[in-house]
Parts: sequence; C-alpha cells; structure tokens
Amino acid sequence: MNIKRILAIFYKELQDIKSNSNITVMFLIPILLTYLWENLIPGMPSGMGLSLGMMFLIVMVGMYVPAMLIAEEKEKNTIEVLLFSPATSLEILIGKGLLTFTAILIISLLLLVLTGIYSQLFIIFTGVFLTTIFSIATGMIVGLLSPNQMATGVIGTPVYLILLLVPNLSIMDIEIMQGLGKVLPTYYFLNMMRFAIEGKGFAEMYTELAVIGGSVVIALLVLLYIFQRKGFRN
Amino acid sequence: MITVKDLKKSYAEKPALKGIDFAIKKGEIFGFLGPNGAGKTTTIKIVTGKLKADHGQAFIKNMNVTEEQKRIIPMVGVVPEQANLYERLTIKQNLEFFCRLYQVSFLNIDKYLELVELKEEENTKVKNLSKGMRQKVLLIRALLHDPEILFLDEPTSGLDPASAAGIHRILMNLNAEGKTIFLTSHNMEEVDKLCDRVAFLDDGEIVAAGSPEELKLKYSDKKIVVVIKTDNGSEERTLDITGSESADQIAEWIKADKIISIHSTESSLADIFVEITGRQVR
Ligand SMILES: Nc1ncnc2c1ncn2[C@@H]1O[C@H](COP(=O)(O)OP(=O)(O)OP(=O)(O)O)[C@@H](O)[C@H]1O
Ligand SMILES: [Mg+2]
Repeated sequence: MNIKRILAIFYKELQDIKSNSNITVMFLIPILLTYLWENLIPGMPSGMGLSLGMMFLIVMVGMYVPAMLIAEEKEKNTIEVLLFSPATSLEILIGKGLLTFTAILIISLLLLVLTGIYSQLFIIFTGVFLTTIFSIATGMIVGLLSPNQMATGVIGTPVYLILLLVPNLSIMDIEIMQGLGKVLPTYYFLNMMRFAIEGKGFAEMYTELAVIGGSVVIALLVLLYIFQRKGFRN
Repeated sequence: MITVKDLKKSYAEKPALKGIDFAIKKGEIFGFLGPNGAGKTTTIKIVTGKLKADHGQAFIKNMNVTEEQKRIIPMVGVVPEQANLYERLTIKQNLEFFCRLYQVSFLNIDKYLELVELKEEENTKVKNLSKGMRQKVLLIRALLHDPEILFLDEPTSGLDPASAAGIHRILMNLNAEGKTIFLTSHNMEEVDKLCDRVAFLDDGEIVAAGSPEELKLKYSDKKIVVVIKTDNGSEERTLDITGSESADQIAEWIKADKIISIHSTESSLADIFVEITGRQVR
C-alpha cells in the first residue's frame, strides 16, 4: 500500500468537493439540524439534539458521500483513470473513504463545540469512529452496486431511512421499532451517546460496543465480497 | 512490441471482433481504420487490458496484458475515445493528480501545455473547455509519465485543422524519439500522413493491412488522366496505364501537340477502403 497515492486521491477529492454543491450541502445539513434541535425545540432532553445530529451526520454524510463519489466516477468513466494507474483497488477505496472520514470527525467536533457538550469525549469519539467506518463501508457498497449517481438514490435511500428513522422512532417508545432497532448499529450509537452524556463509562456499554463493532466487521466483509465479485464494473 | 493473436469478443452474443491478428514493431505508428462500430475501440480496450477478450491473447513487450497489467501500466499512455477528465477540476489539477498517481514530477505539465497552447487556460475548469481543448488535455495526460507506447482512440476527433496539425506534429516528434504509437481514426489523410502501417477493420475483421504506399499500389486503379487541347478549350481523357492502345493514343496526341498535361490517378486510402468494404467512411 502506498500512502502517497492514497493522499493523492484524498487531495483530488478535496479539490473536487469544494465545487460540488451536492456534497457541500450534505456537510452543512447536520450542523443546521443539530442547532435547530438543541435550541429551538422545547422539551427536548439536553444532548438529544446532539445525538440525533451526530447520527444524521454519520449516516447521511457517511453513506451518501462515498456512494455518490464512487457512482459518479463510474458514470463518467473517470474510474478508468484510477483503475488503469499504478494505484491498487484498495488504495482507491481508502483514498475515497478518507475524505468522508476526516470530514465527519471534523464536523462532529464542531457539533460538540456548538452544543457545548464535552462529557466523556473519548467514548463519544469511539462511537463516532466505529459507526462512521460502518457507514462509509455501507455507502461504498451502495456506490459499487449503482451504475450511476441516480441509482444511488434508489438503492441507498431505503438503507438510509432504516438506519436513521428506526432508532429515531424507537426512542419515541414505538414498540415495533424498538424490536427492529435492536439489530441496527445506529440504535446502539444513540444509546452510546446518551450514556456518554449521562456520564457513564465503557463498562456500561459492552453491548453497544459489541453490536457496533460487529456491524463494522460485517459491513467490511460484505464490501470486500462485492468488491471482489464486481470491482468498479457495472 | 504489441502482438495480438486471434482476438474475439462478443457483446451479448453479438460479435464485435471475429478473430483479429496483428503485430506492431517498436517505433512504428500503426493506424487502425474502420467505419463506426467496426471494433476499433473494442480492440484498444482489450489491448490495454481494460476489457477481457472472449478468445485469443494480446501481448505488450511479450507480457500478457491481462496477467501482467500492473507491469504494463507505467509503459503505456492511453487517450480514450470519450474524455474522462474530472470536470470540476482545472486542467492543471487534473494533470497534477495524474502525476501524483504515477509518482512522476510535474515538469512535463508545463512543457506540453505550452506545446498545445493551453498554458493560459491551465486554471480553467475542464467543464468549461471545448471538445478540442479536452482532447488536447487527454493527450497531455497520456504523455506525462513518458510512456514508451501510446494508444490513441481518435486523437484528433473534434479538432480544427490547425489544432489537428499541431497534434500530428507532436505525434511525429514523439515517434522520432522512439515511441510506438497505435491510433484509430476515421480521417484517411491523417492516417496516410502519419502511419507507417495501417490495418482496415470492418465488421470485426481485418480486411487489409500494409503500409499506405503498399495498399495504394495494390488497390490503385492504374489509370492516367490526360488533358488535351480541343477546338473550344480543353478536355480530360482517362486511359488505362497498361496496354498498347493507350500508348498509341498518347503518341498520336503528342505528335499533334495536343497534350496539356498527363498525370496518374492515385487512389486515396479512402477510395481503397470503399473498394475493399463496399462502404463509405465518414
Ligand atoms: N459496451 C458495449 N455493449 C454492447 N455492445 C457494444 C459495447 N461496446 C461496443 N459494442 C458494439 O461492438 C461493436 C464495436 O464497437 P466499437 O466501439 O469497438 O467500434 P468502433 O470501431 O470503435 O466504432 P467508432 O468508430 O464509432 O468509435 C459495435 O457494434 C458496438 O455496437
Ligand atoms: Mg471507437
């Protein structure tokens, strides 16, 4: 693996995203939502807006951005430049994921500053870190399965919705949703955030860590499988 | 340098290549000619390892293109049929990214941008470029890592005559430096001017191959055109180049001082193509 080539792809993506409003808007929405939830909705428990904003950030940005970036390269055939270059497929995937990953870490830091919640930062970042990897891997799967950018919507939207809405509804005590939520890493991510804000330690969130960690492993395995079967071809 | 053996390829049961063989020597400019849908792009894609053939093999410097792709990549520059540049990046950003991927210096960028007169546009986003400008950027991109072999799929399509001539000059210089060039084209004059050897591809088969001169000789219609004086001006007569009848006729005109000019008709590659395939190109 060659770090310089990974950074080359990272840097190219960074230059590209600056003038891609489809994507820059995605980065701004979670900031806006968090602000609204924390400040304008009465009766929202403190920290809830932050947790929801974080989840939105991780799921929407984490999945949508890699999915779009991969599908766009396939649609416009620029992927050929990458594939037919000394870069290996793994370097391409990492280079593409790195930008989203960095962006999410930076924006989540921003959200913490914005809301002034600084309790158990290490736990919060562990949760963000792992769930983001899950989300990016899932987004890449969507990108690999989509022949073009339009298709990412068709394939990706059900996934985003399930990952976002189910945990949302289950914290509102809707019963079926609670059952469903029990298999989603985003549900456990919300738990983790809540516990962290309440000041609890790692010792009380083994289940959360196990489920999120397990989802990361599963998502990476599926990504690897699809990648080996299909690569960047349509 | 490049060897292709019995390549066959079908898309969804429909054959695109029906068994193609050719060999290109080091330092040659080899032209691949053929009408739309003949299989030129398919051949380039297979030889550059982007597409797998159903049957047959392709070798670059004796390396199988599918098995040793990563070793071949640094030696090869490709101009694809369809521009695949990053539209939201500038010309310079596109080219610099390519240099970083190949880990070569940026030095060539300026050199070539000046050569194709795009230096002033270097900070323009690709989405704002004309087709011809994109074509030039694609060519530069293929040259940045100084490859030994170039594959150019219609390198001058969409270029005005002056720009095309500029590209031809660059290609001839590169060839003089020893680079091997494989190009496809619809432009017969271009191929005639540039190529050491050409192959005519029609419907997935090579129907004729050789140097442009050989082909012209082989398929030339062997006629001469004589312009003679007449009472009310001049007149053009076409005669067979062989046979004593023509000789007698010309001798007679010479004696009567009637001849204004004599020239042979030379088939152009386009004529030959039509003759071989019974189809019009372009
Ligand atoms: N991806 C594809 N899927 C299905 N059929 C294809 C595909 N690509 C090419 N073909 C078919 O294969 C044949 C050869 O196409 P190819 O693109 O190689 O022709 P070409 O000689 O490059 O033509 P042109 O001069 O128009 O560029 C055509 O009949 C075309 O319809
Ligand atoms: Mg073609």
